[in-house]
Amino acid sequence: MSSAPRAPLFVREMGLPARFSLYVMVCLFLLALDARYSTLAGMRAGINALIHPGQMALAWPLDWMQGVARFFVSHGELAAENARLKRQQELLDAGMLDRVAIAAENSQLRALMALPPRPGFSMLPGEIIEASTDPFARKVIINRGAGQGIVAGWPVVDAHGLVGQVTRVYPWSAEVSLLSDRSQGVPVQNMRNGLRVIVSGQGSDNFLEVRFLDMHADLQPGDLLYTSGIDGVYPAGVPVARVVKTEPPQHTPFARALCQPLGGVGRYRHMAVLVPAPQTAVPEKPQDPAQKKKVK
Amino acid sequence: MILPPLLPQGAELAHPPTRAKVYLSLLLAFVLTLLPWMEQIRWLVPDFTLMVLLYWNIRAPRIAALGAAFSLGLLTDVARGVLFGLNALAYCIATFIVLLLQRRLEGFDTPRQTLQISPILIGKEMLVLALGLMMGRGDADWRWLVAGVVAALLWSPLAWLLDRVTSQAPASQQPTL
Repeated sequence: MSSAPRAPLFVREMGLPARFSLYVMVCLFLLALDARYSTLAGMRAGINALIHPGQMALAWPLDWMQGVARFFVSHGELAAENARLKRQQELLDAGMLDRVAIAAENSQLRALMALPPRPGFSMLPGEIIEASTDPFARKVIINRGAGQGIVAGWPVVDAHGLVGQVTRVYPWSAEVSLLSDRSQGVPVQNMRNGLRVIVSGQGSDNFLEVRFLDMHADLQPGDLLYTSGIDGVYPAGVPVARVVKTEPPQHTPFARALCQPLGGVGRYRHMAVLVPAPQTAVPEKPQDPAQKKKVK
Repeated sequence: MILPPLLPQGAELAHPPTRAKVYLSLLLAFVLTLLPWMEQIRWLVPDFTLMVLLYWNIRAPRIAALGAAFSLGLLTDVARGVLFGLNALAYCIATFIVLLLQRRLEGFDTPRQTLQISPILIGKEMLVLALGLMMGRGDADWRWLVAGVVAALLWSPLAWLLDRVTSQAPASQQPTL
């Protein structure tokens, strides 16, 4: 019975209210620190490293059961899917050839105009392991983290367009804020006329919004919005959203536009992190001395 | 002549709540919240950790009190990816209230306990939402309050289960003073 602690006869500790207020003060301090500064990221990553293996172990039997269920798929279904994927692959191959040619032409033109080359990106595929349980945020956790070289701030895409951005990195996982998160904004360009606006999330997966739109801005339903790339975070030309409707100003000096995300925000399990390629300034190096000479 | 104690004392319980039992059950409850719940029903999942914590604070108030509430809260904060200290604060407040009312809650049978505990369980979800609103994080998703209601509904099964763990006679069958 020695292991069951009993109330001590003579109390030699702080009273309950005193201890309580101490803990509350620590909590409020932590809250303020975490809300305003990012000093606790290391501590969070450390605790997450403790929790993550357990989480993975818990998810493993479920994944295994899904794997077993997937094993019993009929031959016909597999054959049909195989044929469909082959067709899709052929289309993609054709599109890829086109894209390579255009990219080569583009880089030649940029070199001709002495513009720095566009930053290149490579893809790191990942899978959603968990949806975040924060009632205020639209976030997911993916199974790629600092161990795979992920850095907070990198964009996340799927096959159809932009999905979100890596906002927190843990040792083996990372938190991705989806486009639909209220605190998430993406600088985009209207494909039709090059108008630059910022698309923000509003907490629902179906609609994004352009919050402060000029009253006379030329944005029409059906317009496609692509990343403009001027923020240095998202590469240019990733499809983001299609304008669904624009609303004239009501009680505010600004109009508002509702858009539909093109990427599967909150729909698919697989996504890819865009890893910026190390800046290879190979075509620039010979140019720089030449330009200096010209200046001299 | 020595009078026998009116209430069963620690040694008379077949399996008194020990540190190991309390911490193991708290760990199990925390693991239960870590399970990969489907996103569609995520807002229905109650805070098992808080429920077990409050249960032990009623039954064995000296084992897992404010310190445990604070550490479990921080763990939950990380697992949920919310601001540091949010759940820790909520757990500490809930534990404090339960410890203040501990003498009263201990004597009640489970249905009456549920009535007393449910405002705390629902209030915790409210507090988390209210703190988020205060910090200007946008519109609250009020569906998450349902988790508190579910927790209140699950209180009696949980109390029954943990009573079995300590072989505690239901409170109503205990001799009263």
